[in-house]
Amino acid sequence: MASNSALESTIDKILKDTEQGILANIKSGLDDSQQNLDAAIPRLESEYDKIISDGKKEADKIEKQITGSSDIEARNKQLMALEEAVDKVFSTALDQIANADRSGDYSNLIKTLIGEATQILGTSEILISTNTKDRDVVQSVLSQFTGAELSSETFDCLGGIMVKSKDGTMTFDNTLDARIERLKPLIRKEIAAKFGVGI
Amino acid sequence: MTVEGGVQYSKIAEIKGPLVVVDDVDNAAFDELVEIETTEGERRLGKVLEVGNGKAIVQVFEGTTGLSISGTSAKFVGKVMEMPVSKEVLGRVFDGLGRPKDGLPDPIADKFVDINGEPMNPEQREYPKDFIQTGVSVIDGLMTLVRGQKLPIFSGSGMSHNLLAAQIARQASVVGKQDDFAVVFAAIGVQYSEAEYFRRSLEESGALKRSVLFLNTADDPAIERIITPRVALTVAEYLAFDLGMHVLVVITDMTNYAEALREISAAREEVPGRKGYPGYLYTDLSTLYERAGKLNGRKGSVTQVPILSMPSDDITHPIPDLTGYITEGQIVVGRDLFRQGVYPPINILSSLSRLMKDGIGEGSTRDDHSEVSNQVYDAYSRSQEVRALAGIVGKAGLTEIDLKYLELGDTFENEFLTQATDENRTIEETLALMWKIVSKLPKNEITKIKDKHVEKYYQEK
Amino acid sequence: MAAQGRIVWVSGPAVRADGMSDAKMYETVTVGDSKLVGEVIRLTGDVAFIQVYESTSGLKPGEPVVGTGNPLSVLLGPGIIGQLYDGIQRPLRELSKASGSFIGRGITTSAVDMTKKYHFVPTASNGDEVAGGNIIGTVQETDLIEHSIMISPDHKGGKLSNLVSEGDYDLETVLATTEKDGQSVDIKMYHKWPVRKPRPYNKRHDPTVPLLTGQRVIDTFFPIAKGGTGSIPGAFGTGKTVTLHQIAKWADSQVVVYIGCGERGNEMTEVLVEFPHLKDPRSGKPLMDRTVLVANTSNMPVAAREASIYTGVTIAEYYRDMGKDVVLVADSTSRWAESLREMSGRLEEMPAEEGYPSYLASRLAEFYERAGRVQAAGSPDRNGSVTLIGAVSPSGGDFTEPVTTHTMRFIKTFWALDAKLAYSRHYPSINWMNSYSGYLADIAKWWSENISEDWFKIRSETYGILQREDTLKEIVRLLGPEALPDEEKLILEVARMVKIGLLQQNSFDDVDTYCSPEKQFKLMKLLVDFYQKGQQALKEGTALSDIRELGVVSSLLKARMDIKDDEMPKLEQLDKDMQEQFKSISGVKVSN
Repeated sequence: MASNSALESTIDKILKDTEQGILANIKSGLDDSQQNLDAAIPRLESEYDKIISDGKKEADKIEKQITGSSDIEARNKQLMALEEAVDKVFSTALDQIANADRSGDYSNLIKTLIGEATQILGTSEILISTNTKDRDVVQSVLSQFTGAELSSETFDCLGGIMVKSKDGTMTFDNTLDARIERLKPLIRKEIAAKFGVGI
Repeated sequence: MTVEGGVQYSKIAEIKGPLVVVDDVDNAAFDELVEIETTEGERRLGKVLEVGNGKAIVQVFEGTTGLSISGTSAKFVGKVMEMPVSKEVLGRVFDGLGRPKDGLPDPIADKFVDINGEPMNPEQREYPKDFIQTGVSVIDGLMTLVRGQKLPIFSGSGMSHNLLAAQIARQASVVGKQDDFAVVFAAIGVQYSEAEYFRRSLEESGALKRSVLFLNTADDPAIERIITPRVALTVAEYLAFDLGMHVLVVITDMTNYAEALREISAAREEVPGRKGYPGYLYTDLSTLYERAGKLNGRKGSVTQVPILSMPSDDITHPIPDLTGYITEGQIVVGRDLFRQGVYPPINILSSLSRLMKDGIGEGSTRDDHSEVSNQVYDAYSRSQEVRALAGIVGKAGLTEIDLKYLELGDTFENEFLTQATDENRTIEETLALMWKIVSKLPKNEITKIKDKHVEKYYQEK
Repeated sequence: MAAQGRIVWVSGPAVRADGMSDAKMYETVTVGDSKLVGEVIRLTGDVAFIQVYESTSGLKPGEPVVGTGNPLSVLLGPGIIGQLYDGIQRPLRELSKASGSFIGRGITTSAVDMTKKYHFVPTASNGDEVAGGNIIGTVQETDLIEHSIMISPDHKGGKLSNLVSEGDYDLETVLATTEKDGQSVDIKMYHKWPVRKPRPYNKRHDPTVPLLTGQRVIDTFFPIAKGGTGSIPGAFGTGKTVTLHQIAKWADSQVVVYIGCGERGNEMTEVLVEFPHLKDPRSGKPLMDRTVLVANTSNMPVAAREASIYTGVTIAEYYRDMGKDVVLVADSTSRWAESLREMSGRLEEMPAEEGYPSYLASRLAEFYERAGRVQAAGSPDRNGSVTLIGAVSPSGGDFTEPVTTHTMRFIKTFWALDAKLAYSRHYPSINWMNSYSGYLADIAKWWSENISEDWFKIRSETYGILQREDTLKEIVRLLGPEALPDEEKLILEVARMVKIGLLQQNSFDDVDTYCSPEKQFKLMKLLVDFYQKGQQALKEGTALSDIRELGVVSSLLKARMDIKDDEMPKLEQLDKDMQEQFKSISGVKVSN
C-alpha cells in the first residue's frame, strides 16, 4: 500500500507539473495564435486589395455591359462577379495556408487546437487525426497531452486536426478548413463591403 | 459568430418519424441548430426540441429517410437557426430553409437573425390604420386590408385563392414610392405549378425585383415546412423594420404547415388536442401571425395574407378555427360562388376585416364608407335569406320588398363581386358600385346609413 | 435558505432542475445564466419542475437555478393605474426601454415608479390600534382614483406610531411603523401580495346593484351585477373583443382591469391608443385614468399567460379593498386553459377531456370565486366589488367543449355570441334565446327604484315578442311569410324593430356606443307601445302595410343613433309622433 501511495503522489506531482505546463502552453499558444492572426490580417488584406481592384474593374465592366437589360439580371450578375472575386480571395488564402511553413509558431497553433478540442469534448482521452503535412507537428506536441493519441490514418485537409473521443461517440472538427468555413460569411461580407455592392 | 464549432455526437439512440434521439450529449441547448451527417457525408439540418439527462431530441427538417443508428452523427452548432439578411435578398429565390435556389451564391449578410424572431412589445406597436388599396372591390369595400394587418384567405382545395392572392400582391399599392413596397412569398408544400404561377405573376408585373420567394413545394421535405414561414417572416421583418419597406407577406398553404407540426407532435407521443393537432397549435400559429404589424418610430410594416385550405371546406376545423382567433379577420372563399363561376368567389357574410373600421372613412377612403358597407352586408345577408325562402315557397310567396332584396343579391354578385383578375378598381369606383347596390332598396329600408349620406349618394331611379 | 440547483432538462417553457430540495411550491426562481423568471410547479425529491415565464431558447442543462424564497407576487401601490403590464407585472413600457421594440429576456424592472412622489394625506393617527387591511391615509393616484394606503392584509396588527404628516413622499418612504410585542414593522405606500392567494375580506354581500355597461342587450336583457360573474363565449369573428372593449370603456365601475391573455398584440395597442382619448361618460376624465392593462399576447411565453389571470385579479382585489367597484375582463380564459394544458402535458399528467388537465374545473372555480361584493378587511368600513367577466373562445364555436361547459357552472350571466348574427352584421351578436342572466331578479329592484316601476314588466313584454318571433320563424321557414295572419306578421315586424332598434348597437357610432339606462328604457317602451298600438289598429281593421309604412318606424329604428342621451325630450316627441300617426291611420280599411 505504501508504495502505492508513493506512486500516487509521484503521479500527482507529475500531473500537476504537466497540468501547469499545459495551462501555460495553452495560454501562450492562444496569445501566439492571436498574434498570428493579427499579423495575418494585413497580409491577407493586401492580397484581398489586389484581387478586389481586379474584381471591381470586372464588376464595373459587367455592370456597363448589361445596362439596358433588366435590373434584376444586372444585380444577379454583379452578385456572381462578386462571388467569383470572393472565391479567388479564398483560394489564394487557402493556398497560402496549405503551403505555410510548418515550423516555429505552427506547433503552438496545433497545441491550441488540441487544447480547445479537449476542453469542448470534456475529455482528454482523445484520438487525433490530421493530414500528412501536419502529422509530424502533431506528433511533436503529443507528449504534452496525456491521454491523446495520434491516429495512424491521415486524411485530406488544409491543416489542423480532427479530434475524436476514444469511445468514438464524439468528434470535434478543428481543421483549418472547418475554422475558415465558419468564418466565411464574415469574410465575404468584408470583401463585399470593399466592393461597395450587395449590402 | 463564434469560432467554437459544434461537437459531433455519433451515439444515436433512436430514430422515429422526423426525430433523432442523440445519447451522451452534455453540452446542447434547447432550440440549438443541429447538423445531421450521414455516412455518405450528406448533411441535414435540425433543431433541439428537448434536452436533458444526457439526451437530446432533435427534429430533422429534411426528414430522417435513409438515416441509420450506426452511420449517423449529429453536430450541435452552438447557436439557434439564423437567416442571413440584406437588401440583396430582394429578387431572390430560396428554398424552404432559406438557402438559395436560384443558382446564385448565399446572400452577403448584413446580419444574421434568429428565425424565431422575438415577440413585439405590444406597447411599442403602432395601431394599423393605413388603407391598402388592393383594387379588388369586395376587399376594399367590405373587408379592407390595412398596413400591418394579418388577414388570411380561408379557401378549399382547387378554388381560386392563388389567383386572388397574386392579384392582391400585384395591385396592392400603398401611398408612397414604389420602392418602399416589397412582397415576400412563402410556398409551403404547394404544387410547383402554383408557386410558379405566383412567381410569373410577379415577374410580369415587374414586381419580382421587389420580391423574395421561399419555395417548399409538395415534393420537398415535410418537416422543412416548420421553417419556411419563419425564414420568410424573418426576411420580411428585416425589410420592414431595418430598411423601412412596406412588406406584404403571402404564405400558402398554412394547412401544410400545421400538418408538419402534427407529424412532429405525433412522433413525440404528445397528448393531442382536437383532430390530432397538438395542444399548442394556437400558440405556435400565433408566433407566425403575430409577426405582422407596425412599430412606433419605424417606417415599415409587415402585412400578412396567409392562405389556408380548409379540410372539407370546414371552417370549424382546428386550423382555420385557431387561425381566425389570431388573425384580424378572414377572407372566406365560398364553394357555391366558385361553382357558379364567380371570381373572386368571396363569401362576404363569413368574411371580416377587424381593422377595417380604422382604415376607412374621411381622410383615407370616404366618410360614408363604414355605413354603406354595413348596409351592403345587411342587405346581402337578407337577400340570401330571401333566396333560401324562394327556393321553398317560390317567388310567388315573397313580398314585394323581398323581391327587391332578391334582385339586389344578383346585382351584388354580378356587378360588384365579379371582377377580372387584371381589373384594378379604385376605391371611388368600388364605393359607387356599393351605392348602386344599396339604391336597389327603397329609402325606408336603409337603416344603417345616416340621412345626410343617403341624401348625398343615393342613386334615384 | 434559497435553493441553488442546476438545470437537468429543458423542453419549451418547462425546465427540470436538481439540487432543489430547499425550494417551495410556487416559489419564483431565476433560471439559467440569463436569469429568466420561473416558478416551481412541482417538487419530486430534489428535482423541481419549473415553468419559465420567458423564452428558454438557448438554455442548457448545467446552468444554475436560484430560488428567491418568495411566491409569485405583485407589487400593490400607487402607480398601477394606466400601466400596461406583462403576465408577471413587468411594465411593458420599461421593458421597451431595455430591449426596444421586441421583448428581450432576463430583464428586471419595478412594477411602478418607486421614486415618484405622491401627496399623502394621513387618515389614521399615532396611537391607533391598527390591523391588516386598515387604511392609514390616501394619495391621489390619477384624476379619477383616490388611492387608499392600506396596511397589508396579512399584517399582524399593532399600535401605529411615527405616522408622517401630510406631504409628498415616494413609495419607499416609511410612512408609519406599527409596534406589537416589541416588534416594529415599517408601513410604506405599497405592499406585496402573492397572486395565487385571494385577498381576505370581512364579509360577502349579495350582488344586487347592476353593473351598467351602456350596452342595451346587456343592461336591459342579460344584466350582470356588481360583484357578479359573467362569461362571453363565441367563435372567432363574433365580436367578442369589441363587446369586451365596450364593457371596459363604459362600465360604471371605478377601476377596470383588462387582461389580454393569449390574444392579439394589436388589441392591446388599440386600448392603449384609444382609452387615453375616450372620456368616462360620468366624470369626463380620460378612461385610461381608471384602467390597468395586463397583456400576455399569444406569441409571448405561454407560462406567463397562465400567471396573467392571477396577476390581474390580485390587482382587482387590491382596488376592491379600497372600497371601489372593479371590473375585470379576461380575454380569453380559453387561452389561459390552454396554457394549463400545455404545462400539464409537459408534466406528463394524465389528461382529462381534450387533453385538458383534470383540475381545469377547480382552477376555473377558484378564479371565478374571487369575484364578489364584499366588506373589505380592516377599518374604516367600506364595500367594494370585483366583477369578473371572462371571454371563452370555444374551438369551432362549439359550446360543449370543456372550457365553456366548466365555465358555465361557475358564472351567472352567460352572453352567448352567435356566428349567424355576426355574419348578418347584427352586433353585438349576443343571441337572445341562448343567453341568460341569473341576476335579473336581484337587480330588478334597482331599475324599479331608479328608472321606472314598469321596467320589469316592459322588459318581459319585449322579451316575449322575441320569443314569439322565434317560434313563428319556423313556420315562415316552411311556408313563407305570407302564410301567417296579420297579427303574427306584426309580431315579426316588431321583433325586427326590436332587433334593429334596440338589440343592435353600433360601438363605432359616437352616439350609439353608449346608451344611458333612461334611454334604454324609453326606447324599449316605445317599441312595446308601437306593438300594442299596432295590435289595436289591426283589430280595428287597419291594414298591416299601413302600419309598416308609418314614418315613425324608420325614426324608431334610427333613434338609438340619432337621439343623444341628453336629448330625452326628442324621445318624448317621437312618442307623440307615434300616437299621432297611429291616429291618422285608425279606421283606414284594407286598401288592396
